[in-house]
Amino acid sequence: MSLPPTKRSLSNANSNATASSSSSSSPHFHPSMKKAKSQAVACSLDPNKNGLHHHHNQDDNDVVFDPSSMALDDDSKPDDARAPAAANLSRKKATPPQPAKKLVIKLVKAKPTLPTNFEEETWAKLKSAINAIFLKQPDSCDLEKLYQAVNNLCLHKMGGSLYQRIEKECEEHISAALRSLVGQSPDLVVFLSLVEKCWQDLCDQMLMIRGIALYLDRTYVKQTPNVRSLWDMGLQLFRKHLSLASEVEHKTVTGLLRMIESERLGEAVERTLLNHLLKMFTALGIYSESFEKPFLECTSEFYAAEGMKYMQQSDVPDYLKHVEMRLHEEHERCLLYLDALTRKPLIATAERQLLERHIPAILDKGFMMLMDGHRIEDLQRMYSLFSRVNALESLRQALSSYIRRTGQGIVLDEEKDKDMVPSLLEFKASLDSIWEESFSKNEAFCNTIKDAFEHLINLRQNRPAELIAKFLDEKLRAGNKGTSEEELEGTLDKVLVLFRFIQGKDVFEAFYKKDLAKRLLLGKSASIDAEKSMISKLKTECGSQFTNKLEGMFKDIELSKEINESFKQSSQARIKLPSGIEMSVHVLTTGYWPTYPPMDVRLPHELNVYQDIFKEFYLSKYSGRRLMWQNSLGHCVLKADFPKGKKELAVSLFQTVVLMLFNDAQKLSFQDIKDSTGIEDKELRRTLQSLACGKVRVLQKLPKGRDVEDDDSFVFNEGFTAPLYRLKVNAIQMKETVEENTSTTERVFQDRQYQVDAAIVRIMKTRKVLSHTLLITELFQQLKFPIKPADLKKRIESLIDREYLERDKNNPQIYNYLA
Amino acid sequence: MPPRAPKRKSAPPNSLSVTSSDGSSVSSKAKTKGFVRIDRMFDSYANSSLGMIDPDGIEAFCSDLGVDCTDVRILMLAWKLKAQRQGYFTQDEWRTGLKELRVDSISKLKKALPELEKEVGKPSNYDNFYSYAFRYCLTEEMQKSVDIESICELLNLVLGAQFRPQVDLLIEYLKVQSDYKVINLDQWINFLRFCQEINFPDLENYDATQAWPLILDNFVDWMREKHSSF
Repeated sequence: MSLPPTKRSLSNANSNATASSSSSSSPHFHPSMKKAKSQAVACSLDPNKNGLHHHHNQDDNDVVFDPSSMALDDDSKPDDARAPAAANLSRKKATPPQPAKKLVIKLVKAKPTLPTNFEEETWAKLKSAINAIFLKQPDSCDLEKLYQAVNNLCLHKMGGSLYQRIEKECEEHISAALRSLVGQSPDLVVFLSLVEKCWQDLCDQMLMIRGIALYLDRTYVKQTPNVRSLWDMGLQLFRKHLSLASEVEHKTVTGLLRMIESERLGEAVERTLLNHLLKMFTALGIYSESFEKPFLECTSEFYAAEGMKYMQQSDVPDYLKHVEMRLHEEHERCLLYLDALTRKPLIATAERQLLERHIPAILDKGFMMLMDGHRIEDLQRMYSLFSRVNALESLRQALSSYIRRTGQGIVLDEEKDKDMVPSLLEFKASLDSIWEESFSKNEAFCNTIKDAFEHLINLRQNRPAELIAKFLDEKLRAGNKGTSEEELEGTLDKVLVLFRFIQGKDVFEAFYKKDLAKRLLLGKSASIDAEKSMISKLKTECGSQFTNKLEGMFKDIELSKEINESFKQSSQARIKLPSGIEMSVHVLTTGYWPTYPPMDVRLPHELNVYQDIFKEFYLSKYSGRRLMWQNSLGHCVLKADFPKGKKELAVSLFQTVVLMLFNDAQKLSFQDIKDSTGIEDKELRRTLQSLACGKVRVLQKLPKGRDVEDDDSFVFNEGFTAPLYRLKVNAIQMKETVEENTSTTERVFQDRQYQVDAAIVRIMKTRKVLSHTLLITELFQQLKFPIKPADLKKRIESLIDREYLERDKNNPQIYNYLA
Repeated sequence: MPPRAPKRKSAPPNSLSVTSSDGSSVSSKAKTKGFVRIDRMFDSYANSSLGMIDPDGIEAFCSDLGVDCTDVRILMLAWKLKAQRQGYFTQDEWRTGLKELRVDSISKLKKALPELEKEVGKPSNYDNFYSYAFRYCLTEEMQKSVDIESICELLNLVLGAQFRPQVDLLIEYLKVQSDYKVINLDQWINFLRFCQEINFPDLENYDATQAWPLILDNFVDWMREKHSSF
């Protein structure tokens, strides 16, 4: 084979060469070798990347790159493994420019001609080689020669036709290969492996051909626009014939889908096969169109059906577990064989079909059960799954209605009033732990819990407030054994949380005060420290205004102790007091304490004397004060001498007064007792009932019977016995509590009216002129208890009537303050 | 809160106090020429021992005028005369009132009545007349409100001609409800506003969150309930 002529002459001889091809200047060749080598290392070896030529098309001066990188590519090509050829090549490439200068003159005159059949012969060699490659037969011609042949053709500007010939040759083979797949094995897996094999072969074969025709790739392809590299050409041909043999493509896709489906159904499949075929789709550039789309549709269908089926078959926690597993699987699938870009739409599809569509059903069917069962883990799963499909809002709403529904059961059931507060506390604690552990302390959920609690605790006007006060009373009262101080403290804190939700805090205060008064006056408080701690908690919660009366009560108790001490030391006491009686007095400041209805009673002389002496003492010490005896609060311990033994009786003042009558008489009629004690009729009947019809019967009623009638009479019970020395005769209080209760509530409402009036006047005094709407808004802000707008109107009208306000003459929506 | 000291209450309403000084100056001059016929007319109805026209005199006066004494025009006349006490006209009231009407005989008064009706009908006077009608019913010292019975009659008299359907329903409501036994001036004034401002009978522009007195809120609720129950 003759050396190629110089470039210059070539361009003269071969006029149909492309315009862009020739102008490279030779002196560039040498110096660039090294540099190019180092660059090329990085980009060789990857068949997919053999598009280097693209750069060079842009700029002809860059031709320097060509030979070197080509040489190198050649060098490192694993298949060919022809290092000597590479060396030759670079030498060959490098030499021509030097002799060129010498030869120039001669060549102009005697132009060497190519053998006439040069192209055909060369091509025949190549063709047989290509054929051999496709048929996987050995070829007689060694690869170096073939390479040289391509090189020669290219140098003689025959690259174009060579390319076309190669293309045609390849097309024939590829088309044949794909056609051979038509009608092949009905077994999809077998078929898929055939396809894979075909693809694998093509890749190998195209690599080989490209190796041979590398020079073509480097020169002709690079320099000609709109011509694919050989590798791309091979892919393109494969794609074309694959789509022509639509049965093959269709069968392949179906096969893939079927395999994935059977994997979803739990069968083991050949993942590498899947992986290779999907890589093929990607390489052919038809992945998203031919595979991904049907795949996602198929997935959608599959999970739609599965979702429906499982929702019916299994319970919610299992379903959620299943969904979680499915999502994980799909994720894995993307790592193992699907294209990475498929992950997002795939997971989204699965989520939509398995979760989104079933959100209401899941919540409906399982939420309550999970909450009731306190299933932290399942709830947490639900939360995290729902957060994937932005369904937390639905979950939050479900939580809200769950709390409301469950809470209503606790709050509205009047028969369970006793357990309301403990149940609520328990419920709240359970919710809190679920919130913490399952709902990752989501702020919105926290607020939902609060709102729902506030709603349900105010479902009933005042009862919850009252019951909370009662609950505290129980906890703070003495005899509440078995709770340590820390436990008590913890309970108080928890109750305070409920207290916070209550709108009618004044109702709470009224009842708390009433109970506190009882505890203090009867000395029943479990621990003054606990009491004080509760007060200070209330103080931080509601401000000192809320608690200063309560604190005043404590002060009164302490002061009373001192007063009693100094009374005992006083001269009045030492000189005048009747002996045999001890008395202690609580002096209560009016206003701090609940108001008690005055109850008249005619005290026995001894007690009267005692009271008078104390009064004298007290008024001498604090002049200008007024003492009023609250007979209904008094209690005494009496020593009783029964024929069958001495006893001490702990009784109320009224009981005392009645019993002391029997010091001088054996038998008394109801009327006698009424006349001499002066106790109000109903109260007296209750008192007598407690003494003669209760557990401890120190009197006997004639005739016997439960209720005290007008003409009953009473006798000292001579035969009274009891195992204990000290006895408490319980007062009958049932009815009293009901009365007490309503009066406490009434008082609260009365107070509220005054508070509304005061608030209106306060606001109007500062504003002077204010519209109705603004006044109502301000009132709602200021008033700390629930109140209806109609009630506010009533108070406003009352103030208009009393001429604190007037309607503006020109605008009836505006009120003027009348100073 | 206790009711406030009566000092504020005792101040007479503005409309009445404006001309009172004028009236007294007239009385001091006693029998000026212009008042002769008016005074004669007054004397013919007056109870001489009281020195003013009493209910009997008014009845006689009405029959001479040919008008029923429960006619709204008598109320208008009382308004014009600025009569302070129901059923009585003092000489001062009589003089200034008739002088303003420019009449000095029954026949002239008869002719002036339509004119008076027109005057009352003017928007600027009507509100004044309307609240006067309420105050005219306050017969006792310190009285601030009027019982439901009288209010119903007064409504009929004052608003009946203009707002028949509203007045009928309002009266019906006032008689069935049990929350209120008396009506105060504020509520009374708002009855008029209600009739004037609220579309009847659909009530769609009634808004209970506005400053309407509660009694009207209740009235509207009652009407709506009544309506829906049909």
